[in-house]
Amino acid sequence: MLILKAVSLGPLHGYGILLRIQQVSKERLEIQQGSLYPALYRLEHQGWIASEWDASENNRKAKYYRLTAAGKRRLQAETEKWNRMADVIAGILGTKAEEV
Amino acid sequence: MTHWSRIRSWMQANLWRSRMEREMDAELRFHMEAYTEELMRGGVLREEAMRRARLEFGGAERVKEECREARGIDFVESLTQDIRYGLRVLRKSPGFTATAILTLALGIGANTAMFSLINAIMLRSLPVPNPQQLVILGWTARQEPETTQERVWSGCQQMLGDQNEHGNCSFSLALFQQMRAQQSVFSGMAAFFDIDSVAAINGQAITTRAEFVSGDWFSTLGVRPLLGRIINPADDARGGAPVAVLGYRFWQSKFAGDPSIVGKTITINQILFTIVGVAPPGFLGLEPGIPLDFWVPLSTEVAVTPDFDRRVPDLLWLEILGRLKPGMSVAQAESAMNVIFVPSVTGSANPMFKSTDEPRIKLPSASHGLGSLRASFSEPLFFLMIVVSIILLIACANVAGLMLARAAGRQREMAVRFALGASRWRIVRQVLTESLMLSLAGGALGILFAYWGASSLGAFFSANYYMPLDIDVLPDSRILGFTFAVTMFAGALFGLAPALRGSRCELTPALKERGGALSGWHARWRWFSLGNALVVAQVALSMVVLAGAGLLVRTLVNLETINPGFDTHNVLLFGIDNTLIGYKGAKLENLYSDLRNRLAALPGVTSASYSMAPLLSGAYMMTDYRKPGASEQRALGTELLPIGPSFFETMRLPLVAGRTFTQEEFSSTVKPGPMIVNEMFARKLLKEENPLGQLVADAGSIVANHEIVGVVADAKYQGLRHEITPTAYVPLSDGCASFELRTAANPKALIPAVREVVNEIDSNIPVLAVKTQTEEIERQLYQERLIAALSTVFALLALVLACIGLYGLLSYEVTQRRHEIGVRMALGAQSRDVLHLVVGQGIALAVTGAVMGIGAAVAVTRFLQSLLYEVKPADPFTFAGVAILLVLVAMAACYIPARRAMRVDPMDALRYE
Repeated sequence: MLILKAVSLGPLHGYGILLRIQQVSKERLEIQQGSLYPALYRLEHQGWIASEWDASENNRKAKYYRLTAAGKRRLQAETEKWNRMADVIAGILGTKAEEV
Repeated sequence: MTHWSRIRSWMQANLWRSRMEREMDAELRFHMEAYTEELMRGGVLREEAMRRARLEFGGAERVKEECREARGIDFVESLTQDIRYGLRVLRKSPGFTATAILTLALGIGANTAMFSLINAIMLRSLPVPNPQQLVILGWTARQEPETTQERVWSGCQQMLGDQNEHGNCSFSLALFQQMRAQQSVFSGMAAFFDIDSVAAINGQAITTRAEFVSGDWFSTLGVRPLLGRIINPADDARGGAPVAVLGYRFWQSKFAGDPSIVGKTITINQILFTIVGVAPPGFLGLEPGIPLDFWVPLSTEVAVTPDFDRRVPDLLWLEILGRLKPGMSVAQAESAMNVIFVPSVTGSANPMFKSTDEPRIKLPSASHGLGSLRASFSEPLFFLMIVVSIILLIACANVAGLMLARAAGRQREMAVRFALGASRWRIVRQVLTESLMLSLAGGALGILFAYWGASSLGAFFSANYYMPLDIDVLPDSRILGFTFAVTMFAGALFGLAPALRGSRCELTPALKERGGALSGWHARWRWFSLGNALVVAQVALSMVVLAGAGLLVRTLVNLETINPGFDTHNVLLFGIDNTLIGYKGAKLENLYSDLRNRLAALPGVTSASYSMAPLLSGAYMMTDYRKPGASEQRALGTELLPIGPSFFETMRLPLVAGRTFTQEEFSSTVKPGPMIVNEMFARKLLKEENPLGQLVADAGSIVANHEIVGVVADAKYQGLRHEITPTAYVPLSDGCASFELRTAANPKALIPAVREVVNEIDSNIPVLAVKTQTEEIERQLYQERLIAALSTVFALLALVLACIGLYGLLSYEVTQRRHEIGVRMALGAQSRDVLHLVVGQGIALAVTGAVMGIGAAVAVTRFLQSLLYEVKPADPFTFAGVAILLVLVAMAACYIPARRAMRVDPMDALRYE
């Protein structure tokens, strides 16, 4: 989901995704570098992201990933699911003794 | 959509494999470099930055492998790996590979061959468009109809199915015409009827099988001619010119495939027919496997068989084929036909059925033809199919044993692969891949064996059937599918045990162990016990097959050595069919006596006679006799045979009392008619009384119309398998006859002379079914001989396979135990002791297997009961005999490895360590 989110903000190459996740999570989330690529390949295999080769910032060839239509729907569904889940959990955790 | 993208990405990954690998490399390299640069920007030195990048990234190869897996590429990848590796392994041990493939090919081949026959006879649809629309018209009722039924074929009763009802598939001409005129459920409805006829080809008379068909028969079936045209409704109209369509096989064999045959003529029962077409090669008629010689229009039936008027309303003789209209169900069609059929058979002035008989039309499917062969061969085919499945099991056990032995040898290899991180499933898959490769190779070879085997099986069936068969055993998609299924099943069956065994492996001891060292002895013992069990199973299974074959062979021997009561050697039989060409009354009598006299005068012929049918041919007549005044219930069921002069002398059937018939008695006017009976007749009907001169009455006669003039010894008449029954012989004066010649030497040498004599008298008389009495008996026993011969062949195959299994196990053990044997010999064991060691184990296995096999055989052979004759299903002699045979062959199989063990040089064996 995090990868989908990262890619949804604009096409990125693998290293960029890593950086963006770290950046938006304010360095609180560390992703194992090696496990990123299998995850990307899996997502691409499932058709949620697509890739193409393009020039990078420093003018080198890099593989850029972008979100597909199916990926967008997936991200939306996952986000909703997560929010619902978070609400429920927050509700449970926020319950005070007198409310029961 | 995601499915599609998955498939696309999988296809791309697999098809553009190298591109994907390149891109993956480039992508990972880009990542590393980007990260390195980032670190360098933070002030880290280049070398250090690269090191840290690699470190943090983790194993690049593992990442790549995971990426490949994410793309679903790893399955194909490892499959090709497995296959390549398997090929290498199999090539490395050609002896094992060849044995395994050959064994499997025999097992799979035997199954495919049997299945080809079953397919050809029982499963294949008629080679016509939309065969599933074809039905046969049949009827069922509570009572037999008030008619003369002409034709009952066994296949019809089977197709109608209901055992409790009377039923048949024949109709009168009037019924056919009425139903065809009124029906609206069939797109075509055609009648047919087949007869044996005499055709004259190049001046020689031969018997042929012809079928009368109504004009729309071919068009209903949808058969197109190979040459010329088919029979059409105009041909079938009254007064139409007689035309014939030839069967492909008949055209090939009798006219050498003459391409200009259309327009030529053929004489059938002395009527000239114009040949208008030839049927296509695959189409034999409605009976799969039984080729028809030609088809002629139904309207010519009156002219071809003028003696017999079939066009009367109460004779049921026509079979009817219908093609259902598209979308019409059988139930709909049946009820629609009943609306026509029921009133017309119950409502007329002279009804066939009472309405309480509930006559109903049934429409069994004709998509597979009429199934006469199916009816007569299904029992032996079923039995043989079981036998070949057992053979396949033996073959699988055999190869499983071989693979187990190898698995023991490959244990270190497996351990190494485990240690390098292979998963258990991966190893199982590797071994299974090897098994499937073996079985696929075996299957491919097996198809070759099967084609050859099925052709000879088909020829064997055909040679022993009472008419020539044309069994098409060419492999079709169904056979190939069957073989493939059997092959996969076999591969999984024999591969699974070694695969699981190979994958269950403790690393440390396996890696430490050196091949053949004593430390591994304990661990290996377990595998050997599985190996032993497999050998025992093989021996036991082959014992079952051997016991079955033994019982069937004994049945055959019993039947062949049966004393039928007369001398069966040096007798030549042949039939003439004179009714077809118009001999009757006195003319016929003259023909018979003239022919008999000329035949008796032939050099080499001791005596000659004739009778309604030859003895032991299966043809017979039954009637009842009673003493005058006795009630019908006291009548004695008797087999009746009309005979010619000197019949008993010719057949060497001894006369016990009284006399034989005089020449005058053949002129059929004497009353009461003279009769000669067998001893059993005399004993059963007349008890202690002197039979000579006694008067008896036959069924339907009130007064005594027969006088017993002689008594002959008991002899079998109907068939070898039938008990001797009371038999009566009367003078033959009318109808067709079969001649018997007693010869001094080989009866077959007389065949040309016999044909010449018949030709001299009338060249239009066909000489039929020329054979010796011994051949007639053989023909009668065709089913017994077929099963006995085939089960013997298969039993020997099973025995050989089991012994190869035993041999393989012992050889392997001798190789593995070289060291132990060497030590024993160094410690003073004689070669005799070594012999005991090896042969002892072999015999123990064989005997265990044989004993278990006897147990299984006793349970199984009960189902053979109906095929056996004068031998019990658990016949101790047969069982003991085959057990001894089995143990003897097993000993021979043990001897070779034992000799190798005895030749072990202690020095050599110890140094080998």
